[in-house]
Amino acid sequence: MFETRNTRALAIVALAVPALLGLTSLATAQDKFKLGMLVGGNTCCEWMKAQGDVARALAEKEGWDYVELSNNNDPAVALKNAQIMVQEGAKAVIQFNGQPSSNPAISAVMKAAGIPIVTYDIADPGMYFVGIDNLAAGIAGGEQLGMIIKDKWNCAPDLVISSEGAGAGIVNEWRTGGMRTGVKNICPDIPAEKFVSFEGSGDAAVALQPARDLLAANPNAVKMAVVGINDGGVLGLINAAEQLGRADQVIGWGQDGAFITGDNVNPHLAGSVFYFLEGYAVYAIRDVIKPIAEGKDVPLKADAGDPASKVQPCPVSAEQAKAVPDMAERVTQLLAAPAGTTAYDLFCPNKG
Amino acid sequence: MSLAPAIETAPPAMPFKARLGGWGTAILLLSVWAALLIATGLYRPDFFAHQTLLAIAFTMAVVGVLAVGQGIIAISGGFIDLSQPAGLILSGLIAVRLSEAGLPLPLVVVGAVLTGMAWGALNAAIIVFAKLNPVIVTLATNFIGLAALYLIFQLAQVPNGSEIYHFGRTNILGLPAIWWPMLLIIVVTGFLMRSTRYGRRTTAVGGNRAAAKARGISLKAMRFGTFMAAGGFVGFAAVLFASAAGPFNPSSASTLQLNVIAAVILAGISLAGGRGNFWMLLLSVGFLSTIPTSLVFFGLSSDTQSIFQGVLLMIAVAIDGYRARRSPT
Amino acid sequence: MTDTTNDRTLPAYQLPHHPLRDLLTGSVASIAFTFIAVVAIGLLWVGPKFLSFGNVSIMGTFLIVPLIVGAFAGFALLAGVVDLSIGSIVGISAAVFAYLISHGWGVPGAAIVTLVMCLGIGGLNALAIVRFGADPIAATLGMLTALRGITWVLAGNQRMISAFDIDWFNLINMQVLGLPLFFLIAIGLTLLAALIVTKTRIGRHVQAVGGDDKAAGRAGIPVGRVRTAALMLSAFGGGLGGLVYVGQLGSAAGATGFGLEFQVYAALMIGGYSILRGGVGNPIGGALGLLVVAGVANILDLKAISPYYVNIIIGLLLLAAVLLDRLRGGDSYE
Repeated sequence: MFETRNTRALAIVALAVPALLGLTSLATAQDKFKLGMLVGGNTCCEWMKAQGDVARALAEKEGWDYVELSNNNDPAVALKNAQIMVQEGAKAVIQFNGQPSSNPAISAVMKAAGIPIVTYDIADPGMYFVGIDNLAAGIAGGEQLGMIIKDKWNCAPDLVISSEGAGAGIVNEWRTGGMRTGVKNICPDIPAEKFVSFEGSGDAAVALQPARDLLAANPNAVKMAVVGINDGGVLGLINAAEQLGRADQVIGWGQDGAFITGDNVNPHLAGSVFYFLEGYAVYAIRDVIKPIAEGKDVPLKADAGDPASKVQPCPVSAEQAKAVPDMAERVTQLLAAPAGTTAYDLFCPNKG
Repeated sequence: MSLAPAIETAPPAMPFKARLGGWGTAILLLSVWAALLIATGLYRPDFFAHQTLLAIAFTMAVVGVLAVGQGIIAISGGFIDLSQPAGLILSGLIAVRLSEAGLPLPLVVVGAVLTGMAWGALNAAIIVFAKLNPVIVTLATNFIGLAALYLIFQLAQVPNGSEIYHFGRTNILGLPAIWWPMLLIIVVTGFLMRSTRYGRRTTAVGGNRAAAKARGISLKAMRFGTFMAAGGFVGFAAVLFASAAGPFNPSSASTLQLNVIAAVILAGISLAGGRGNFWMLLLSVGFLSTIPTSLVFFGLSSDTQSIFQGVLLMIAVAIDGYRARRSPT
Repeated sequence: MTDTTNDRTLPAYQLPHHPLRDLLTGSVASIAFTFIAVVAIGLLWVGPKFLSFGNVSIMGTFLIVPLIVGAFAGFALLAGVVDLSIGSIVGISAAVFAYLISHGWGVPGAAIVTLVMCLGIGGLNALAIVRFGADPIAATLGMLTALRGITWVLAGNQRMISAFDIDWFNLINMQVLGLPLFFLIAIGLTLLAALIVTKTRIGRHVQAVGGDDKAAGRAGIPVGRVRTAALMLSAFGGGLGGLVYVGQLGSAAGATGFGLEFQVYAALMIGGYSILRGGVGNPIGGALGLLVVAGVANILDLKAISPYYVNIIIGLLLLAAVLLDRLRGGDSYE
């Protein structure tokens, strides 16, 4: 976008940084590797907390120092946190930044200080990309749902409803857009006006009311396929349909696998796509951080299409998901597994 | 400031005029609501359908019960309870835990209501013993409460197929099962506030606490009473909320706050205390719950929803302020 | 608003002023002591690094917007008309400014249009509150919601408008003497505001209007005009905050400024302002409140204490501050 221009510019921000780098490295002269983690800090999502917990445990296993700060889902806080990481002498930083508008500034601060930074899921030209290809994950889920639509409704649904979470920006467009594309890959003849969407904030409880309104405004639709930014958003529409007595008219397919495990799975959620968000630190540490800690040169791969480490999406039907433990159990097993073993290796019932 | 209750003046001893003012609110609300319904119906005739009624009634349930709690705080001179989101999530979490333990619905309700009352009592204790303003206290307790709740839990949901789960999804006489308790609560509270000594006293305290104090009413007891009662309603609203919300997290209730405050103001329950008719909440909550549904029928994006709600709230408080200024109190 | 049941016959601002006593007992004094305590804790617990240029720069950069917004919003608080919409004004200002820049406007033109729009928003707030007598909290809560909706529409499906202007970026992020230039400017603005509040007739009018509007009206002070001006100033400060954010981040987002009003007012109340009653508080106290909150957050950051505790501590600090204020003879509720 504007990477060449702004690196030069942002160097000015970092004018104070070298001075204080010297100051802190004097103060903490020992050579222990220090990993910084900037968690998303949005209280919406349990996985944001889990991402920090896993990174902490893995860093301790490696014998590194570990600092964690929360971005509070606020772009200005994220920038401040990046500066603190520089000051605190972090040798490498991992972030999940749900407010990526601050990414260019953060990336430049890190570059000026010579600190490598890994970003999860939302790419930035100056950061190692570790994560899912959101578009591919969306398409994979959409194709699975498309096959159900083909089987059940002969590719002639009344509506394909998308539960959006616009707050997530481009990620939302990739996932929900990808799912629509996936459905069309299987059922190319669904007319454009059958695709409708509503804003559900990716939160089942928040999505409930707008979902009811959408259903009420489409009283004649009886064959409805539901996609969304995540399981929560899709579940919001399913719950609304249950309230309006139309649950049997909807089939949902989620993203992120948050609500497809355990014994509390809604029967109308036909499947989801696991990312195993809690376990991203395994990829980041194995492929970027540890080699850096060992003094190796790791080439910057910032593009989601050619990432530093690629998280495999794991599309599962509800039936297959029964074999997958819930998040707390997955974290336990993941931390007990040999170093470098990913949650995908351990839990995806459907590898390939 | 416009909200300063006039201590030096006598309590509003003009029930006739006040009641007339109340019916003015009713007529105004009814006509605006009717206009919205008719306009939407003209644009989309299939607006008038059972599905629409259900959608609006479901939305009304949680907001309506919360608005009764907020109304009690406002009318008694506590101004506003900004900690409803934290109280709702805390009680909802208890409701989930109790239903996970397999308790029958009535006990789940009791547990959630008691939790809400305890939350109200905590607020009241800080307000009364530290003598601090409720707005600031509840702003702080909401801040603290939501942050602490996130340390305790990140997600909760009532078990699929449990009693409370069905409660959030059933209809009785063509309307949601969770709508009827809201109706009952508004009607009964409205009656109690008008026709019992305790209700009238609560209103009187809100209108003129110096006079109330002079007449020997204990403001401390009143504050505990109103905050615990309001907390109980928040706890009950939490049952309605948890019954249908599916998985919820500590921030899931934050979007409700504005609608609840708007409903109280539109109903003519004065935020300065001492004035208001709880039955009007039926109209204001109904009207506010219709707006998002209508917007969808008009094909407008949900981003516009906040624009409408915000502008509407401003207009409502402007009218409220204008009326209060012209009334002789 | 509701804080009227105090038994004192004279509001604080009518007490005869004595500079020395004011210094030791006024609201600025307690926040100053709190500030000193935070700095001391920082130095003892974190070490000299806490006051290093680098660390102060980090806090300073983060504080630029809250300080500017707080200095201007303080006038509305003093005049007794709290403006809850400031966070959303910051958001819409950033969005409009970024939108104009991304559509080829120059920074000066875009800034002027944005700021004029913000003055208009303040005017609308004033129309509802001053002209019609709407309750300030409720009315500006409405404005907050409406502006957030407009910002989302402007920011589109990606909830983000990229607007990188190299000169603006360089200016906003310029460092002087090892500190961010705009942090120093924000401090300067605070001092200027304090001067206006305490030393000029305008300042005394604002305090008088907030303290007791009826008495002020009887004394011939144009209450409505003072409050209108205060609300417009408050909105203007929000507008400036939005411009700065675009300079800092190179973009505007749907979430820019979201929740800022509570952060700023919590800090201003810790610093001696009241959102419920005009006439109390002072820009210096407010700025110290912001510094205290930033200092506490910074100590937690540097000690790597779980970030989830920050809000709990800020909430407790707020309660402690209003309690302290009351014990010192400030407002008591019932």
